Amino acid sequence: MDESRQIRNFILKNFLFSEDEGSLSDEESLIASGAIDSTGVLELIMFIEETFQIKVADEEMIPENLDSVQKIIAYLHGKRSSQG
Amino acid sequence: MARSLPDSVRSHAFDAPENIAITMGSRSHTYGQLWREIIAFAEWLKGTGFKAGDRAAIVLANCPEAVIACYGTWMAGGIAVPMNSQAKSRELAPWLRHCDPAVLIHESGNTDMEPLLESLATRPRLLVVGEEPKRIPGARFNEVVASRSLSVETVSAPRLDDTPAMILFTSGTTGSPKGVTLSHRNIASNAAAVIEYLELTAADSIVSVLPFYYAYGNSVLSTHLAVGGRVVLELNMVFPHAVVETIARERVSGFSGVPSTFALLLSRVDLSRHDLGSLRYLTQAGGPMAVALTRRLLSALPSARLFVMYGQTEATSRLTWLPPEMLGSKIGSAGKAIPGVEIEIRSGRQRSIGADGIGEVWARGENVMLGYWRDEARTSEVLSDGWLRTGDMGRIDADGYLFLEGRRTDMIKVGANRIYPNDVEEAIAEFPGIAEVAVVGIEDELLGQVVKAFIVPGVAGSVDKMAVLAHCRAGLAPYKIPKHIEFVDALPKTASGKINRGALAVAAVTREES
Repeated sequence: MDESRQIRNFILKNFLFSEDEGSLSDEESLIASGAIDSTGVLELIMFIEETFQIKVADEEMIPENLDSVQKIIAYLHGKRSSQG
Repeated sequence: MARSLPDSVRSHAFDAPENIAITMGSRSHTYGQLWREIIAFAEWLKGTGFKAGDRAAIVLANCPEAVIACYGTWMAGGIAVPMNSQAKSRELAPWLRHCDPAVLIHESGNTDMEPLLESLATRPRLLVVGEEPKRIPGARFNEVVASRSLSVETVSAPRLDDTPAMILFTSGTTGSPKGVTLSHRNIASNAAAVIEYLELTAADSIVSVLPFYYAYGNSVLSTHLAVGGRVVLELNMVFPHAVVETIARERVSGFSGVPSTFALLLSRVDLSRHDLGSLRYLTQAGGPMAVALTRRLLSALPSARLFVMYGQTEATSRLTWLPPEMLGSKIGSAGKAIPGVEIEIRSGRQRSIGADGIGEVWARGENVMLGYWRDEARTSEVLSDGWLRTGDMGRIDADGYLFLEGRRTDMIKVGANRIYPNDVEEAIAEFPGIAEVAVVGIEDELLGQVVKAFIVPGVAGSVDKMAVLAHCRAGLAPYKIPKHIEFVDALPKTASGKINRGALAVAAVTREES
Protein backbone atom coordinates (compact mmCIF):
# COMPACT_ATOMS: atom_id res chain seq x y z
CA MET A 1 0.00 0.00 0.00
CA ASP A 2 1.43 3.43 -0.84
CA GLU A 3 2.19 5.86 1.97
CA SER A 4 -0.58 8.33 1.27
CA ARG A 5 -3.13 5.53 1.30
CA GLN A 6 -1.77 4.18 4.58
CA ILE A 7 -2.04 7.60 6.19
CA ARG A 8 -5.48 8.25 4.73
CA ASN A 9 -6.77 4.88 5.94
CA PHE A 10 -5.49 5.53 9.44
CA ILE A 11 -7.24 8.91 9.58
CA LEU A 12 -10.44 7.52 8.08
CA LYS A 13 -10.62 4.67 10.56
CA ASN A 14 -9.56 6.50 13.70
CA PHE A 15 -10.90 10.01 13.28
CA LEU A 16 -13.59 9.96 10.61
CA PHE A 17 -14.95 6.48 11.43
CA SER A 18 -15.38 5.70 7.77
CA GLU A 19 -14.07 3.29 5.15
CA ASP A 20 -15.01 5.57 2.30
CA GLU A 21 -11.72 6.76 0.81
CA GLY A 22 -13.59 9.45 -1.06
CA SER A 23 -14.50 11.20 2.18
CA LEU A 24 -10.96 12.56 2.69
CA SER A 25 -8.90 14.24 0.00
CA ASP A 26 -5.13 14.52 0.27
CA GLU A 27 -5.36 18.31 0.47
CA GLU A 28 -8.10 18.58 3.10
CA SER A 29 -7.10 20.33 6.32
CA LEU A 30 -7.37 17.87 9.18
CA ILE A 31 -7.83 20.66 11.71
CA ALA A 32 -10.33 22.79 9.81
CA SER A 33 -12.44 19.69 9.10
CA GLY A 34 -12.39 18.79 12.78
CA ALA A 35 -10.75 15.44 12.03
CA ILE A 36 -7.99 15.85 14.61
CA ASP A 37 -7.82 17.64 17.94
CA SER A 38 -5.11 18.01 20.57
CA THR A 39 -5.11 14.32 21.45
CA GLY A 40 -5.81 13.16 17.91
CA VAL A 41 -2.62 14.77 16.69
CA LEU A 42 -0.65 12.75 19.25
CA GLU A 43 -2.23 9.53 17.97
CA LEU A 44 -1.37 10.59 14.42
CA ILE A 45 2.25 11.29 15.37
CA MET A 46 2.56 7.89 17.09
CA PHE A 47 1.19 6.22 13.98
CA ILE A 48 3.64 8.09 11.71
CA GLU A 49 6.60 7.24 13.96
CA GLU A 50 5.73 3.55 14.19
CA THR A 51 4.71 3.04 10.59
CA PHE A 52 7.47 4.99 8.88
CA GLN A 53 10.23 4.46 11.45
CA ILE A 54 11.03 8.11 12.02
CA LYS A 55 11.12 10.40 15.06
CA VAL A 56 8.94 13.50 14.87
CA ALA A 57 10.81 16.19 16.78
CA ASP A 58 8.87 18.64 18.97
CA GLU A 59 9.57 21.56 16.67
CA GLU A 60 8.30 19.56 13.69
CA MET A 61 4.84 19.24 15.26
CA ILE A 62 3.41 22.16 13.32
CA PRO A 63 0.51 22.45 10.87
CA GLU A 64 2.89 22.89 7.93
CA ASN A 65 4.00 19.26 8.46
CA LEU A 66 0.86 17.53 9.71
CA ASP A 67 -2.34 19.30 8.68
CA SER A 68 -3.18 17.18 5.61
CA VAL A 69 -2.23 13.87 4.03
CA GLN A 70 -0.30 15.81 1.38
CA LYS A 71 1.64 17.77 4.00
CA ILE A 72 2.49 14.62 5.93
CA ILE A 73 3.84 12.99 2.75
CA ALA A 74 5.92 16.08 1.94
CA TYR A 75 7.22 16.11 5.52
CA LEU A 76 8.19 12.42 5.31
CA HIS A 77 10.05 13.01 2.05
CA GLY A 78 11.85 16.03 3.46
CA LYS A 79 12.75 14.14 6.61
CA ARG A 80 14.24 11.23 4.67
CA SER A 81 16.23 13.41 2.29
CA SER A 82 17.66 15.41 5.20
CA GLN A 83 18.73 12.14 6.83
CA GLY A 84 20.49 11.24 3.61
CA MET B 1 -15.14 52.77 32.38
CA ALA B 2 -17.98 54.95 31.26
CA ARG B 3 -17.99 53.72 27.68
CA SER B 4 -19.54 50.86 25.82
CA LEU B 5 -17.03 48.56 24.13
CA PRO B 6 -17.68 49.85 20.60
CA ASP B 7 -17.26 53.39 21.92
CA SER B 8 -13.84 52.44 23.32
CA VAL B 9 -12.73 50.94 20.00
CA ARG B 10 -14.02 54.05 18.24
CA SER B 11 -11.88 56.28 20.45
CA HIS B 12 -8.75 54.18 19.78
CA ALA B 13 -9.46 54.39 16.05
CA PHE B 14 -9.27 58.19 16.24
CA ASP B 15 -6.60 58.57 18.96
CA ALA B 16 -4.20 55.87 17.76
CA PRO B 17 -5.35 54.78 14.29
CA GLU B 18 -2.02 53.16 13.37
CA ASN B 19 -1.85 50.93 16.45
CA ILE B 20 -2.43 47.26 15.70
CA ALA B 21 -5.67 45.84 17.08
CA ILE B 22 -5.65 42.29 15.69
CA THR B 23 -2.99 40.07 14.17
CA MET B 24 -3.63 36.72 12.57
CA GLY B 25 -0.74 35.09 10.77
CA SER B 26 0.61 37.68 8.35
CA ARG B 27 -2.58 39.79 8.46
CA SER B 28 -2.94 42.74 10.81
CA HIS B 29 -5.73 45.26 11.32
CA THR B 30 -4.91 48.65 12.76
CA TYR B 31 -7.57 50.31 14.92
CA GLY B 32 -8.24 52.75 12.07
CA GLN B 33 -8.78 49.98 9.54
CA LEU B 34 -10.77 47.88 11.98
CA TRP B 35 -13.12 50.78 12.65
CA ARG B 36 -13.60 51.57 8.95
CA GLU B 37 -14.56 47.95 8.30
CA ILE B 38 -16.85 47.87 11.35
CA ILE B 39 -18.72 50.93 10.06
CA ALA B 40 -18.88 49.56 6.51
CA PHE B 41 -20.33 46.34 7.90
CA ALA B 42 -22.88 48.27 9.99
CA GLU B 43 -23.93 50.29 6.95
CA TRP B 44 -24.34 47.14 4.88
CA LEU B 45 -26.48 45.63 7.65
CA LYS B 46 -28.69 48.70 7.83
CA GLY B 47 -28.96 48.67 4.05
CA THR B 48 -30.44 45.18 4.22
CA GLY B 49 -33.26 46.43 6.44
CA PHE B 50 -31.58 45.30 9.68
CA LYS B 51 -33.16 47.16 12.59
CA ALA B 52 -32.21 47.92 16.20
CA GLY B 53 -32.65 44.76 18.25
CA ASP B 54 -32.28 42.42 15.27
CA ARG B 55 -29.88 39.51 15.67
CA ALA B 56 -26.81 38.65 13.60
CA ALA B 57 -25.62 35.05 13.98
CA ILE B 58 -21.84 34.80 13.65
CA VAL B 59 -20.71 31.22 12.93
CA LEU B 60 -17.00 31.83 12.63
CA ALA B 61 -13.80 30.53 14.16
CA ASN B 62 -11.64 33.31 15.64
CA CYS B 63 -10.66 35.71 12.87
CA PRO B 64 -10.73 39.50 12.29
CA GLU B 65 -14.06 39.10 10.45
CA ALA B 66 -15.67 37.68 13.60
CA VAL B 67 -14.64 40.85 15.47
CA ILE B 68 -15.82 43.15 12.70
CA ALA B 69 -19.16 41.33 12.48
CA CYS B 70 -19.73 41.61 16.24
CA TYR B 71 -18.82 45.29 16.57
CA GLY B 72 -20.53 46.12 13.26
CA THR B 73 -23.72 44.52 14.53
CA TRP B 74 -23.50 46.68 17.65
CA MET B 75 -22.96 49.79 15.52
CA ALA B 76 -26.15 48.91 13.63
CA GLY B 77 -28.00 48.67 16.96
CA GLY B 78 -28.26 44.89 16.79
CA ILE B 79 -27.49 41.89 18.95
CA ALA B 80 -24.43 39.79 18.07
CA VAL B 81 -24.89 36.03 18.45
CA PRO B 82 -21.50 34.31 18.17
CA MET B 83 -22.04 30.58 17.63
CA ASN B 84 -19.72 27.62 17.91
CA SER B 85 -18.07 27.25 14.51
CA GLN B 86 -17.43 23.56 15.21
CA ALA B 87 -21.14 22.87 15.69
CA LYS B 88 -23.02 20.75 13.17
CA SER B 89 -26.36 21.59 11.62
CA ARG B 90 -28.35 19.60 14.19
CA GLU B 91 -26.71 21.69 16.93
CA LEU B 92 -26.93 25.04 15.15
CA ALA B 93 -30.55 24.71 14.02
CA PRO B 94 -32.18 24.99 17.50
CA TRP B 95 -30.05 28.06 18.32
CA LEU B 96 -30.98 29.74 15.05
CA ARG B 97 -34.67 28.97 15.45
CA HIS B 98 -34.55 30.34 18.97
CA CYS B 99 -32.79 33.64 18.25
CA ASP B 100 -34.29 34.08 14.76
CA PRO B 101 -31.43 36.08 13.22
CA ALA B 102 -31.91 38.50 10.36
CA VAL B 103 -28.38 37.80 9.13
CA LEU B 104 -26.06 34.79 9.34
CA ILE B 105 -22.32 35.16 8.77
CA HIS B 106 -20.45 31.93 8.04
CA GLU B 107 -17.19 30.65 6.65
CA SER B 108 -16.88 29.41 3.10
CA GLY B 109 -16.59 25.66 2.86
CA ASN B 110 -18.82 25.04 5.88
CA THR B 111 -20.56 21.96 4.54
CA ASP B 112 -23.16 22.05 7.30
CA MET B 113 -24.66 25.27 5.99
CA GLU B 114 -26.75 23.75 3.22
CA PRO B 115 -28.59 21.16 5.36
CA LEU B 116 -28.86 23.76 8.11
CA LEU B 117 -30.54 26.33 5.89
CA GLU B 118 -32.91 23.74 4.50
CA SER B 119 -34.05 22.92 8.04
CA LEU B 120 -35.02 26.52 8.85
CA ALA B 121 -38.50 27.87 8.19
CA THR B 122 -37.16 31.41 7.84
CA ARG B 123 -33.88 31.85 6.06
CA PRO B 124 -31.65 34.64 7.33
CA ARG B 125 -29.73 36.78 4.86
CA LEU B 126 -26.30 35.21 4.33
CA LEU B 127 -22.84 36.72 4.37
CA VAL B 128 -19.88 34.52 3.46
CA VAL B 129 -16.31 34.91 4.73
CA GLY B 130 -13.67 33.61 2.32
CA GLU B 131 -13.85 32.33 -1.20
CA GLU B 132 -16.96 30.30 -1.85
CA PRO B 133 -18.14 28.67 -5.00
CA LYS B 134 -21.56 30.22 -5.65
CA ARG B 135 -23.27 27.20 -4.14
CA ILE B 136 -25.07 29.12 -1.45
CA PRO B 137 -26.31 32.57 -2.36
CA GLY B 138 -25.03 35.34 -0.16
CA ALA B 139 -23.01 38.53 -0.08
CA ARG B 140 -19.23 38.35 0.30
CA PHE B 141 -17.70 39.71 3.49
CA ASN B 142 -14.61 41.18 1.82
CA GLU B 143 -16.77 43.11 -0.65
CA VAL B 144 -19.02 44.42 2.11
CA VAL B 145 -16.20 45.79 4.27
CA ALA B 146 -14.27 47.17 1.30
CA SER B 147 -17.04 49.62 0.52
CA ARG B 148 -16.16 53.18 1.40
CA SER B 149 -18.12 54.36 4.36
CA LEU B 150 -19.40 57.92 4.54
CA SER B 151 -20.08 58.07 8.22
CA VAL B 152 -16.85 56.86 9.84
CA GLU B 153 -16.23 60.26 11.42
CA THR B 154 -19.75 61.07 12.48
CA VAL B 155 -21.33 57.86 13.64
CA SER B 156 -21.93 57.49 17.37
CA ALA B 157 -21.46 54.24 19.26
CA PRO B 158 -24.11 52.51 21.39
CA ARG B 159 -24.50 53.93 24.89
CA LEU B 160 -23.51 52.13 28.04
CA ASP B 161 -26.96 50.89 28.99
CA ASP B 162 -29.07 47.78 29.38
CA THR B 163 -29.73 47.33 25.68
CA PRO B 164 -29.10 43.67 24.74
CA ALA B 165 -25.75 43.37 22.94
CA MET B 166 -24.93 39.68 22.76
CA ILE B 167 -26.45 36.23 23.11
CA LEU B 168 -24.17 33.31 23.98
CA PHE B 169 -25.70 29.85 23.85
CA THR B 170 -24.55 27.62 26.68
CA SER B 171 -26.43 24.47 25.71
CA GLY B 172 -27.87 23.27 22.55
CA THR B 173 -29.94 20.49 21.32
CA THR B 174 -32.36 19.81 24.12
CA GLY B 175 -35.26 21.53 22.46
CA SER B 176 -35.02 24.73 24.42
CA PRO B 177 -31.60 26.29 24.06
CA LYS B 178 -30.26 28.57 26.77
CA GLY B 179 -29.20 31.89 25.29
CA VAL B 180 -27.41 34.03 27.84
CA THR B 181 -28.36 37.60 26.96
CA LEU B 182 -25.81 40.26 27.87
CA SER B 183 -26.17 44.02 27.70
CA HIS B 184 -23.60 46.61 26.72
CA ARG B 185 -23.37 47.48 30.42
CA ASN B 186 -22.75 43.81 31.36
CA ILE B 187 -19.91 43.44 28.88
CA ALA B 188 -18.25 46.80 29.56
CA SER B 189 -18.43 46.49 33.35
CA ASN B 190 -16.95 42.99 33.35
CA ALA B 191 -14.17 44.12 30.99
CA ALA B 192 -13.44 47.10 33.26
CA ALA B 193 -13.05 44.86 36.31
CA VAL B 194 -10.65 42.50 34.51
CA ILE B 195 -8.66 45.44 33.11
CA GLU B 196 -8.30 46.80 36.64
CA TYR B 197 -6.83 43.70 38.24
CA LEU B 198 -4.70 42.68 35.23
CA GLU B 199 -3.55 46.34 35.00
CA LEU B 200 -3.99 46.26 31.23
CA THR B 201 -2.91 49.19 29.07
CA ALA B 202 -2.60 49.93 25.36
CA ALA B 203 0.95 48.57 25.57
CA ASP B 204 -0.37 45.08 26.30
CA SER B 205 -0.85 42.32 23.77
CA ILE B 206 -2.06 38.76 24.09
CA VAL B 207 -2.05 35.50 22.16
CA SER B 208 -5.61 34.22 22.18
CA VAL B 209 -6.46 30.57 21.53
CA LEU B 210 -9.88 30.74 23.22
CA PRO B 211 -12.90 31.01 20.89
CA PHE B 212 -14.86 34.27 20.92
CA TYR B 213 -18.12 32.29 21.05
CA TYR B 214 -17.26 31.29 24.61
CA ALA B 215 -17.45 33.79 27.45
CA TYR B 216 -13.76 33.46 28.38
CA GLY B 217 -12.47 34.01 24.84
CA ASN B 218 -14.89 36.88 24.39
CA SER B 219 -13.62 38.47 27.58
CA VAL B 220 -9.99 38.19 26.43
CA LEU B 221 -10.93 39.99 23.22
CA SER B 222 -13.10 42.65 24.92
CA THR B 223 -10.58 43.56 27.58
CA HIS B 224 -7.68 44.01 25.18
CA LEU B 225 -9.64 45.99 22.59
CA ALA B 226 -11.13 48.16 25.34
CA VAL B 227 -7.66 49.37 26.37
CA GLY B 228 -6.38 49.72 22.83
CA GLY B 229 -4.14 46.67 23.11
CA ARG B 230 -3.33 44.02 20.53
CA VAL B 231 -4.89 40.58 20.16
CA VAL B 232 -2.87 37.93 18.29
CA LEU B 233 -5.08 35.09 17.11
CA GLU B 234 -4.12 31.43 17.12
CA LEU B 235 -6.93 29.04 16.29
CA ASN B 236 -6.35 26.22 18.74
CA MET B 237 -3.90 24.21 20.80
CA VAL B 238 -3.55 21.27 18.39
CA PHE B 239 0.02 22.39 17.70
CA PRO B 240 1.29 23.88 20.98
CA HIS B 241 4.70 24.43 19.46
CA ALA B 242 3.25 26.87 16.92
CA VAL B 243 1.47 28.79 19.72
CA VAL B 244 4.69 29.11 21.72
CA GLU B 245 6.56 30.33 18.65
CA THR B 246 3.89 32.97 18.14
CA ILE B 247 4.17 34.12 21.76
CA ALA B 248 7.95 34.43 21.34
CA ARG B 249 7.85 36.04 17.89
CA GLU B 250 5.14 38.58 18.70
CA ARG B 251 6.65 39.40 22.12
CA VAL B 252 3.19 39.46 23.69
CA SER B 253 2.65 40.38 27.32
CA GLY B 254 -0.19 37.96 28.05
CA PHE B 255 -1.54 34.48 27.46
CA SER B 256 -4.85 33.01 28.59
CA GLY B 257 -5.92 29.41 28.88
CA VAL B 258 -7.91 26.70 30.56
CA PRO B 259 -6.11 23.93 32.46
CA SER B 260 -5.71 21.78 29.32
CA THR B 261 -4.08 24.70 27.47
CA PHE B 262 -1.32 24.81 30.05
CA ALA B 263 -1.10 21.00 30.30
CA LEU B 264 -0.51 20.86 26.54
CA LEU B 265 2.10 23.63 26.67
CA LEU B 266 4.04 22.01 29.46
CA SER B 267 3.86 18.44 28.20
CA ARG B 268 4.56 19.06 24.53
CA VAL B 269 6.99 21.98 24.36
CA ASP B 270 10.32 22.56 26.07
CA LEU B 271 9.55 26.13 27.13
CA SER B 272 13.13 26.76 28.26
CA ARG B 273 14.21 26.69 24.59
CA HIS B 274 12.06 29.74 23.78
CA ASP B 275 12.43 33.34 24.87
CA LEU B 276 9.11 33.95 26.62
CA GLY B 277 10.39 36.75 28.81
CA SER B 278 7.87 39.21 27.36
CA LEU B 279 5.02 37.46 29.21
CA ARG B 280 3.83 39.63 32.09
CA TYR B 281 0.55 37.86 32.89
CA LEU B 282 -1.10 34.49 32.41
CA THR B 283 -4.77 33.96 33.13
CA GLN B 284 -6.37 30.62 33.92
CA ALA B 285 -10.06 29.90 34.18
CA GLY B 286 -12.39 27.17 32.96
CA GLY B 287 -12.26 24.94 36.01
CA PRO B 288 -9.73 24.13 38.69
CA MET B 289 -6.15 23.43 37.64
CA ALA B 290 -4.20 20.74 39.50
CA VAL B 291 -1.83 22.22 42.07
CA ALA B 292 1.10 20.31 40.58
CA LEU B 293 0.39 21.75 37.13
CA THR B 294 0.13 25.27 38.56
CA ARG B 295 3.52 24.87 40.23
CA ARG B 296 5.12 23.53 37.02
CA LEU B 297 3.72 26.47 35.09
CA LEU B 298 5.07 29.01 37.56
CA SER B 299 8.46 27.41 37.50
CA ALA B 300 8.55 27.19 33.67
CA LEU B 301 7.54 30.85 33.21
CA PRO B 302 9.05 32.70 36.17
CA SER B 303 8.64 36.18 34.68
CA ALA B 304 4.86 35.88 34.33
CA ARG B 305 2.25 36.43 37.03
CA LEU B 306 -0.52 33.83 37.06
CA PHE B 307 -4.08 35.05 37.64
CA VAL B 308 -6.49 32.25 38.55
CA MET B 309 -10.08 33.25 37.82
CA TYR B 310 -13.58 31.88 38.10
CA GLY B 311 -16.85 32.88 36.51
CA GLN B 312 -19.58 31.82 34.17
CA THR B 313 -21.31 32.97 31.00
CA GLU B 314 -24.34 34.18 32.98
CA ALA B 315 -21.99 36.64 34.69
CA THR B 316 -20.59 37.79 31.30
CA SER B 317 -17.39 35.95 32.14
CA ARG B 318 -15.61 36.71 35.42
CA LEU B 319 -16.78 36.63 39.04
CA THR B 320 -13.63 36.13 41.11
CA TRP B 321 -9.85 36.37 40.78
CA LEU B 322 -6.93 35.20 42.86
CA PRO B 323 -4.14 37.79 43.12
CA PRO B 324 -0.90 36.13 41.99
CA GLU B 325 0.83 36.91 45.28
CA MET B 326 -1.86 34.87 47.09
CA LEU B 327 -1.19 31.70 45.06
CA GLY B 328 1.12 30.43 47.79
CA SER B 329 -1.16 30.92 50.77
CA LYS B 330 -4.50 30.35 49.01
CA ILE B 331 -3.64 27.75 46.41
CA GLY B 332 -6.76 25.92 45.29
CA SER B 333 -8.91 29.01 45.83
CA ALA B 334 -10.90 30.67 43.03
CA GLY B 335 -10.06 33.99 44.68
CA LYS B 336 -12.10 36.93 45.81
CA ALA B 337 -14.87 38.88 44.08
CA ILE B 338 -13.73 41.08 41.19
CA PRO B 339 -14.32 44.85 41.48
CA GLY B 340 -18.03 45.67 41.42
CA VAL B 341 -19.17 42.13 42.21
CA GLU B 342 -20.43 40.60 45.46
CA ILE B 343 -20.47 36.89 46.12
CA GLU B 344 -22.11 34.99 48.95
CA ILE B 345 -22.78 31.41 49.90
CA ARG B 346 -26.35 30.33 50.53
CA SER B 347 -27.75 27.12 51.85
CA GLY B 348 -31.42 26.67 51.11
CA ARG B 349 -33.12 29.84 52.30
CA GLN B 350 -30.26 30.74 54.58
CA ARG B 351 -28.05 33.56 53.32
CA SER B 352 -24.47 34.30 54.31
CA ILE B 353 -23.95 31.09 56.23
CA GLY B 354 -20.61 32.18 57.71
CA ALA B 355 -16.98 31.43 57.05
CA ASP B 356 -16.24 28.03 55.54
CA GLY B 357 -19.87 26.93 55.47
CA ILE B 358 -20.54 25.02 52.24
CA GLY B 359 -23.45 26.07 50.08
CA GLU B 360 -24.34 27.43 46.68
CA VAL B 361 -22.44 30.38 45.22
CA TRP B 362 -24.60 33.44 44.43
CA ALA B 363 -23.32 36.63 42.83
CA ARG B 364 -24.47 40.17 42.21
CA GLY B 365 -23.03 42.91 40.02
CA GLU B 366 -23.38 44.82 36.79
CA ASN B 367 -21.97 41.81 34.95
CA VAL B 368 -24.98 39.60 35.74
CA MET B 369 -26.89 38.82 32.54
CA LEU B 370 -30.25 40.29 31.58
CA GLY B 371 -31.62 36.74 31.43
CA TYR B 372 -31.98 33.81 29.05
CA TRP B 373 -33.24 34.90 25.64
CA ARG B 374 -37.01 34.59 25.47
CA ASP B 375 -37.14 32.19 28.42
CA GLU B 376 -38.63 33.80 31.50
CA ALA B 377 -39.14 30.51 33.33
CA ARG B 378 -35.49 29.52 33.21
CA THR B 379 -34.40 33.08 33.90
CA SER B 380 -36.44 33.18 37.10
CA GLU B 381 -34.78 29.94 38.22
CA VAL B 382 -31.36 31.61 38.35
CA LEU B 383 -32.03 35.35 38.81
CA SER B 384 -33.60 36.59 42.01
CA ASP B 385 -33.59 40.16 43.37
CA GLY B 386 -30.59 41.04 41.21
CA TRP B 387 -28.65 37.98 42.39
CA LEU B 388 -27.40 35.18 40.16
CA ARG B 389 -27.58 31.60 41.35
CA THR B 390 -24.45 30.05 39.82
CA GLY B 391 -25.21 26.35 40.38
CA ASP B 392 -21.70 25.95 41.78
CA MET B 393 -21.08 24.78 45.32
CA GLY B 394 -18.41 26.37 47.46
CA ARG B 395 -17.30 28.04 50.67
CA ILE B 396 -15.76 31.40 51.53
CA ASP B 397 -13.00 31.37 54.12
CA ALA B 398 -12.50 33.91 56.89
CA ASP B 399 -10.33 36.07 54.60
CA GLY B 400 -13.05 36.26 51.94
CA TYR B 401 -11.53 33.75 49.48
CA LEU B 402 -13.81 31.42 47.58
CA PHE B 403 -13.10 27.70 47.38
CA LEU B 404 -15.26 25.74 44.93
CA GLU B 405 -16.52 22.37 46.03
CA GLY B 406 -17.97 21.01 42.80
CA ARG B 407 -20.83 21.74 40.48
CA ARG B 408 -24.40 20.75 40.83
CA THR B 409 -24.76 19.86 37.18
CA ASP B 410 -23.32 16.97 35.17
CA MET B 411 -21.57 19.21 32.68
CA ILE B 412 -18.48 17.67 31.05
CA LYS B 413 -15.45 19.86 30.32
CA VAL B 414 -13.29 18.83 27.37
CA GLY B 415 -10.49 21.37 27.02
CA ALA B 416 -12.17 24.77 26.77
CA ASN B 417 -15.49 23.21 25.74
CA ARG B 418 -18.44 22.49 28.02
CA ILE B 419 -20.76 19.66 27.14
CA TYR B 420 -24.18 18.82 28.48
CA PRO B 421 -24.49 15.01 28.53
CA ASN B 422 -28.04 15.28 27.16
CA ASP B 423 -26.79 16.84 23.93
CA VAL B 424 -24.59 13.82 23.19
CA GLU B 425 -27.11 11.28 24.48
CA GLU B 426 -29.85 12.63 22.22
CA ALA B 427 -27.61 12.33 19.17
CA ILE B 428 -26.54 8.77 19.99
CA ALA B 429 -30.11 7.70 20.83
CA GLU B 430 -31.13 8.61 17.27
CA PHE B 431 -28.94 5.77 15.97
CA PRO B 432 -30.99 2.66 15.17
CA GLY B 433 -30.82 -0.30 17.53
CA ILE B 434 -29.97 1.57 20.72
CA ALA B 435 -32.24 1.03 23.71
CA GLU B 436 -30.60 3.43 26.12
CA VAL B 437 -27.52 5.57 26.38
CA ALA B 438 -25.76 7.66 28.99
CA VAL B 439 -22.57 9.67 28.73
CA VAL B 440 -20.20 10.84 31.43
CA GLY B 441 -16.92 12.72 31.55
CA ILE B 442 -13.85 10.74 32.46
CA GLU B 443 -10.50 12.14 33.42
CA ASP B 444 -7.96 12.81 30.68
CA GLU B 445 -4.40 13.84 31.35
CA LEU B 446 -4.32 16.54 28.67
CA LEU B 447 -7.90 17.63 28.04
CA GLY B 448 -9.15 17.47 31.63
CA GLN B 449 -12.05 15.24 30.64
CA VAL B 450 -13.21 13.30 27.60
CA VAL B 451 -16.62 11.84 26.83
CA LYS B 452 -17.40 8.20 27.51
CA ALA B 453 -20.70 6.68 26.34
CA PHE B 454 -22.41 3.67 27.88
CA ILE B 455 -24.78 2.10 25.39
CA VAL B 456 -27.47 -0.51 26.01
CA PRO B 457 -28.20 -2.23 22.66
CA GLY B 458 -31.85 -2.83 21.74
CA VAL B 459 -33.51 -6.20 21.21
CA ALA B 460 -31.64 -6.77 17.96
CA GLY B 461 -28.46 -7.20 19.97
CA SER B 462 -25.20 -5.89 18.60
CA VAL B 463 -24.54 -2.33 17.51
CA ASP B 464 -21.56 -1.39 15.34
CA LYS B 465 -19.29 0.91 17.35
CA MET B 466 -17.70 2.50 14.26
CA ALA B 467 -21.13 3.24 12.82
CA VAL B 468 -22.19 4.92 16.07
CA LEU B 469 -19.04 7.05 16.00
CA ALA B 470 -19.61 7.96 12.34
CA HIS B 471 -23.16 8.96 13.25
CA CYS B 472 -21.82 11.16 16.07
CA ARG B 473 -19.31 12.75 13.74
CA ALA B 474 -22.07 13.67 11.31
CA GLY B 475 -24.21 15.33 13.96
CA LEU B 476 -21.96 16.59 16.74
CA ALA B 477 -19.11 19.05 17.11
CA PRO B 478 -15.86 17.02 17.11
CA TYR B 479 -15.09 17.59 20.81
CA LYS B 480 -18.43 15.99 21.76
CA ILE B 481 -17.68 12.68 20.01
CA PRO B 482 -17.08 9.99 22.64
CA LYS B 483 -13.46 8.91 22.99
CA HIS B 484 -14.68 5.72 24.62
CA ILE B 485 -17.78 3.62 24.05
CA GLU B 486 -18.78 0.70 26.23
CA PHE B 487 -21.72 -1.59 25.54
CA VAL B 488 -23.54 -2.66 28.71
CA ASP B 489 -26.62 -4.71 29.53
CA ALA B 490 -28.24 -2.02 31.68
CA LEU B 491 -27.57 1.44 33.12
CA PRO B 492 -27.48 2.06 36.86
CA LYS B 493 -30.60 3.94 38.03
CA THR B 494 -31.54 5.90 41.11
CA ALA B 495 -34.58 4.99 43.19
CA SER B 496 -36.64 7.43 41.14
CA GLY B 497 -35.60 5.75 37.89
CA LYS B 498 -33.15 8.40 36.70
CA ILE B 499 -29.78 7.40 35.33
CA ASN B 500 -27.24 7.36 38.14
CA ARG B 501 -24.42 9.30 36.52
CA GLY B 502 -22.33 9.24 39.67
CA ALA B 503 -22.21 5.43 39.59
CA LEU B 504 -21.49 5.48 35.86
CA ALA B 505 -18.60 7.92 36.28
CA VAL B 506 -17.05 5.67 38.92
CA ALA B 507 -17.56 2.62 36.68
CA ALA B 508 -16.03 4.49 33.75
CA VAL B 509 -12.87 5.38 35.66
CA THR B 510 -12.47 1.87 37.05
CA ARG B 511 -12.86 0.20 33.66
CA GLU B 512 -10.64 2.58 31.70
CA GLU B 513 -7.89 2.11 34.28
CA SER B 514 -8.12 -1.67 34.34
